[in-house]
Amino acid sequence: MESMETGNHLRLLRRCWVALACAAISGCSTSLVVNAIFPQPLVDPLPVRVGILFDEALSTYAHEEKIPQQASYSIQLGDANVSMLSQLFNSMFVSTEPVVGLPLETADQGRLDAVIRPELERFEFDVPIQRTDNFVEVWMQYQMRLYETDGQLIAEWPVTGYGKAEHGNRGAALNRAAVVAMREVGAEISTEFSAQPAVEYWLEEKQNESALSSEAGRNN
Amino acid sequence: MSRHCLQRLAATTNTRAQALAAAIALSILAGCSVTSRMEPYKRTDAVINEGEQVVVLARKHHSTHETEAAFVDCVAGALASGSDGLEVHDTVAFEDQLYPWFEPSRAPLSTDELSELLDKPDVFDRVQGTGVRFLVWLDGSTDRVASGGGITCAAGVGGAGCMGLAWWEDDARYDATVWDIQELDSTGTIYADVRGRSTLPAIVIPIPLIARPRAAACRGMTEQLRQFLTAPTSYLPGPELQ
Repeated sequence: MESMETGNHLRLLRRCWVALACAAISGCSTSLVVNAIFPQPLVDPLPVRVGILFDEALSTYAHEEKIPQQASYSIQLGDANVSMLSQLFNSMFVSTEPVVGLPLETADQGRLDAVIRPELERFEFDVPIQRTDNFVEVWMQYQMRLYETDGQLIAEWPVTGYGKAEHGNRGAALNRAAVVAMREVGAEISTEFSAQPAVEYWLEEKQNESALSSEAGRNN
Repeated sequence: MSRHCLQRLAATTNTRAQALAAAIALSILAGCSVTSRMEPYKRTDAVINEGEQVVVLARKHHSTHETEAAFVDCVAGALASGSDGLEVHDTVAFEDQLYPWFEPSRAPLSTDELSELLDKPDVFDRVQGTGVRFLVWLDGSTDRVASGGGITCAAGVGGAGCMGLAWWEDDARYDATVWDIQELDSTGTIYADVRGRSTLPAIVIPIPLIARPRAAACRGMTEQLRQFLTAPTSYLPGPELQ
């Protein structure tokens, strides 16, 4: 009777170890598709017509990283990139349209004033190991490039975003931190776009051109 | 064994049991303690009127700490609840409606910056559209300031058990700064500092005696905020605030 009880206990212990090992193995890899609904920025649209060029590298961006003695991560940011930036550009300019490459076809060049091409250059994150660290952190850097419709570069500048989120569920916290960082990027692009010296100069030129053409139209 | 020895053994066992019971009772009594300090300063006699709303926002620009989302939810929820609940605008909805102007790097840090922000095209109209008159900025966090002791657990075929005593102390320090959008002025600030000591005595089974200073800070802060926003003359004027 006693040996049967001992056998039952051992079986129970073995099951516990198997369960723990499974939990440990599944906890060693995190796969995340960053998902959020981004708000429309409250900014005055600039009086220019802009083509939006999303490279495949941006729209399918995935960050893979294996942290020694911790876990491996796969973070998909492509859909979130397109969602955030489309929403942003649609509010920042009087009109936008997607374009597939540069330079534009001659027929299309008259319809647009410029083409904007964002690139996600760097993505870094930190998931705390110690219980004393409370936050998951994400840092990202985009490179923004504004081109003439014939493919000539007007301006390029980096935009960085930082986000942190309380450490709870690892995947959910990473998602929140990434979304905060992307919202920061969106905030900087939408509020600082026209403050870039080269962009400011280009916008002035565009305004002068349109003022001249409307004056010429009146004289004719 | 003689009768005398039996009596001595019984007496010793009784003394040990009493000492153990006293130790447990002491650890329970001393174990879970909360001390709190609230300091409200109100500079104006502005109060919230019918149809006006308040929004509770967290300061997120510090590199060292960030007000927990759970604390913001707790204060906002508690302000809105009850028969004398205030009209509280949803925090996330407000940040989305005013995006990007209330993101961590763009949010106004003073009422002068708020005034500049409201001068921007469409921003004032959007804020008016929300019905929000008072912004409550929460700043601070709950941190572990001390811990000690230890518990040893062991498991075997015959069973499992723990023995020992662990303790820790959390400090919940928050301040709430209230801005009046109508007057473009800081109405005042409420400081809350709540310290709680939790213990975990274990005699075979661990018995957690948890102090919740963050919850206590939330309750205290909400009570003060409610009074702050509804009673014009409850407070003496405080120091100059940003």
